[in-house]
Amino acid sequence: MDIFNGLMLGFSTATTLSNFSYCFFGVFLGTAVGVLPGLGPIATISMLLPFTFGLPVDTALIMLAGIFYGSQYGGSTTAILMNLPGEASSVVTTLDGHEMAKQGKAGRALAAAAIGSFFAGTVGTVFIAVAAPLLAGLALTFGPAEYFSLIVLGLVTSMVLTSGSLLTAFGMALLGMTFGMVGTDVNSGFARYTFGSANLLDGLDFVVIATGVFGLGDVLANLQNEHARAASVAPVSRLYPTREDWRRMTAPILRGTGVGVVLGILPGAGVLLASFSAYALEKKISRRPEDFGKGAIEGVAAPEAANNAAAQTCFIPMLTLGLPGTATMALMIGALVVQGVQPGPEMLTQQPALFWGLVVSMWIGNLLLLLLNLPLVGMWAKLISVPYRYLFPMICVFTAIGVYSINNNVFDVYLMALFGLLGFFFRKVGAEPAPLILALILGPMAEEYLRRTLLISHGDATVFFTSPVSLGILVVTALLLMSILSPHFRKVREEGLQEVD
Amino acid sequence: MKATQDVALGVFFTAIGIVAGVIALTYPIGTPSRMGPGFFPVIISVLLTLTGIAALSRARRAGSPLVEAITWRPVIIVPLMVVVFGLTIDRLGLPLAVLLLVVGTAAASVKLDISWRAAAGAAAFSAICALLFVKVLGLPIPLAGSWLPFSG
Repeated sequence: MDIFNGLMLGFSTATTLSNFSYCFFGVFLGTAVGVLPGLGPIATISMLLPFTFGLPVDTALIMLAGIFYGSQYGGSTTAILMNLPGEASSVVTTLDGHEMAKQGKAGRALAAAAIGSFFAGTVGTVFIAVAAPLLAGLALTFGPAEYFSLIVLGLVTSMVLTSGSLLTAFGMALLGMTFGMVGTDVNSGFARYTFGSANLLDGLDFVVIATGVFGLGDVLANLQNEHARAASVAPVSRLYPTREDWRRMTAPILRGTGVGVVLGILPGAGVLLASFSAYALEKKISRRPEDFGKGAIEGVAAPEAANNAAAQTCFIPMLTLGLPGTATMALMIGALVVQGVQPGPEMLTQQPALFWGLVVSMWIGNLLLLLLNLPLVGMWAKLISVPYRYLFPMICVFTAIGVYSINNNVFDVYLMALFGLLGFFFRKVGAEPAPLILALILGPMAEEYLRRTLLISHGDATVFFTSPVSLGILVVTALLLMSILSPHFRKVREEGLQEVD
Repeated sequence: MKATQDVALGVFFTAIGIVAGVIALTYPIGTPSRMGPGFFPVIISVLLTLTGIAALSRARRAGSPLVEAITWRPVIIVPLMVVVFGLTIDRLGLPLAVLLLVVGTAAASVKLDISWRAAAGAAAFSAICALLFVKVLGLPIPLAGSWLPFSG
C-alpha cells in the first residue's frame, strides 16, 4: 500500500466518531497528567491499560498514544508556570521557560512551546508514514540473530541513557529479565520460579509490575517530602508571540525537530535525551549563549519541538520491529499483545487500518493539543494547584481497580502492593526503574531469539558476528558502551541526565 | 559497611541472583543448540550476582550516597490499604472498598484533611467510581459484597 492510500485509510479510521472521541479523551487526559507534577504518562498508561481491553484494538492504541504525546504538551505548561517539570522530559524547559514567566512573558513561552511541539509533531507523524513502511520491509529480512542483536542494542541504549550509574542500570535490566522468566516456559512447558503457586503460572503480568513500580512507587516517593511542594503559579499574559519571537524561534524549532526525529528512532533513547540534545545544540550555535538560562525563547522552542518529535518517532521501532524502545512503548506492545496483535514488520500489511489509523490520529491529536493547550491554558494552570493530598488517594484507587480488573484476581492487587514497595526501594537507592520494565518485555523475546538462533546454527554463537546486519548492530552497541567510558561523554551524560522528579 | 545506596542495591542484586541461580540449576539446562528451560536463567542469574558483587566492591572502594532517612508512615499505610482493598473488594463491593481505600491512604499524608468537605468528596468519588467502572465500563465487580446483608 502506498503512502497516499495508507493515509486515506488512516483518515477514515481515525475520524470515526468513537476513535476521534477516544483520541480527544487521550490527549485531554495526557495534558492533565503532564500538567500534574507527580503523575506521569507511564503510570497513567499502565493504570488505564486494563480498561482498554474491552475496546477495539485501534481505538485502544489511539487513546494510549494520545496520553503519551499529550503529556509532552502538558509537561511544558507546568515547567513554564511553576518551574517544576510536570513530566520528566520537560526539565529543560524550566531553565528558560520559567525565566520568561518571571519576566512576565509566560504566555509567549507557552505559545513557543505549543507551536514548536505542534510543528514537530506534524513532521514526526509524516516521518513515521514515510520511514515505517521502509523499515518494516527491511525488517522482514531479519532472522533471529538480527533480532537478538537489536534487543541487546535496545537494552544497552536504555542503560546508557538512564540517570545513575551504568552498573546499576545493568543490574536493573537483569532483574527485569529475571522477573520476565517467572511462569511457564513457552517451549518446554516447564514452570519456572512459580514456587508452586498457580497464580504465577501465567507469569508476572507486566501491567501489574508497571503499575506497582511507577504508579504506587511514585506515590510512596512523593509522600516522603510533602513539605517541599510549595510553589506559586506564574500569571499568564499575552498568548501570542511577537514578530521578534517568531524570528528568533523559527530556526530553533526546525533544528529541534530534526534532533528529535532522529533520536526518537534510536531504541532505548526516549524523549528526555532529545530535549537535552536540542537545548545543548541551540546553546552551542547561538550568537548569544549568555542569554540561555535567562529567558531565551530559543531555549524553550527547540527542546519542546525535540521532545514532541521524539515522542512521535519513538513509535517506529515498536511498530516496525515489534521491539519497544522505551518503557512507554513496552506498555503499548503489551496493549497490542493482549488484544491478539503481534507488533512487528507484518503488522503493516496485516493490520493496515491499525497502523495508518494511529499515524493519522497522531496528527489529529497534535492539532487538538494545540487548541487545548493555548486557549485553555488558564484551566490547566488551575489544575496545577490541586494539592497532592487530594490526588494521591485517587491514584491508589485507579491502580488498584485497574490491576484487579485484569483477571478479577485479588492476587494481582497484592502483587502490585509488593511491587509498589519495590519501586519505592529503587528510588531510595537511586536506581532508575525504566530498564527493568523494558527488560521485562525484552527478556523473554531475547531468550526466544537466542534459542532459535542457536538451534539454526547448531549451537554456534559466532553466527552473531558473521551475519553482517547483526555484526553492524553489535558494533554500534560496542561503540555506545565505549563512549560512556570516555570522560568527555561521561560528563555530558551526568549533566544531561540528572535525577529528575 | 554503611547503608549506602550501592550497598543496599548490591546486597539486593546478589541475593536475588544467588536464589534465582540456585533454583535455575535444578531445571534442565540442555545444550546450546537445544536450550533447556534452565539455560537462560542460569546465565542471567550469574550475571545478576556478579553485578551485585561489583556494586558492593564499588561501595567499598569509592563509597556512594547514603540512603536517605525514610518517612515510614506512607510506606506502611499505602501498601497496607491496597492489600485491605484486595481483601474487601469481593466482600464489601466496589463503592465501600474504594471509600475505605481513599480514606485509608489519605491518612498516609501528614496533611490529612479532616473536614466535612473532604469526607463528602471521598464519598462522592466512591460513588462516581462505582458508576463509572461497574455501570459504564461494565467490570464484573459487585456493587454490594458478600458481607453486606442486601447483596444479591
